[in-house]
Amino acid sequence: MTTETRKRPAYAHLFWWFMFANGGGVAALFIPVHVLVQGILGPLGIAPVVDRHYDTWYSILGNPIVKLYLLVLISLPFFHFAHRLRYLLVDFGVHAAKSVPAQVIFYGGAVVVTLVTIWVLLTTAPISFG
Amino acid sequence: MPSTWWTRNRRYFMYVVRELTALPLAVWLLWLLIEIKRAGDGPAGYRPHGSTAFVVFSVVALLFALYHSVTFLSLAGVIIHLKVLDKPVPPRAIVLTMFGLWLLASVVIGAVLIGFAR
Repeated sequence: MTTETRKRPAYAHLFWWFMFANGGGVAALFIPVHVLVQGILGPLGIAPVVDRHYDTWYSILGNPIVKLYLLVLISLPFFHFAHRLRYLLVDFGVHAAKSVPAQVIFYGGAVVVTLVTIWVLLTTAPISFG
Repeated sequence: MPSTWWTRNRRYFMYVVRELTALPLAVWLLWLLIEIKRAGDGPAGYRPHGSTAFVVFSVVALLFALYHSVTFLSLAGVIIHLKVLDKPVPPRAIVLTMFGLWLLASVVIGAVLIGFAR
């Protein structure tokens, strides 16, 4: 290996670390309130929640900022989860979790979730600013 | 190393729990995605999730979510290095800022989720 190739920044590494760290941050900052409000308060009828009625849920889902936010909220944490679960398997002695196929499965899974989320958001409620 | 290493002491155990927070949160997010998809199927068949099992699962997911938030945001003081006016920002201030952001984000999102309801 020449000195030049060694000096080249590891962009792929940087990218996956960026996704891991930010996925963790998004999960930490945003998930608890969604679980509390949409998973507990809404179903129990303690508070009125936007997804309990079709019209309010459909209406807010048409907002482009909401769509972008939901894409970040749902997809980014999966890159974090993929990394954590893969390394947990390594810690449990599953050496195959270090292999390239395992990386393709775990991070590929996060990419699949991202693509499905984009598809769902684009096909669910037409973009509207109303 | 035996595969039971994580049962040997509390720290190891809590580390494994922390890593496993990924699973319930992933399932919960997929549930949210399904709820979004259901809105695309028209008003007639729309029924939001509301079973007892779902609420119980959400309570469990909330505990895991809070554990992830507290551990992850506490780490920010170790990971993030900032300088303001050439002076390093103390890790404690960074962690406090992250917890403040968490509170702010929760209030804003909670207000939107409840405020746009009827």
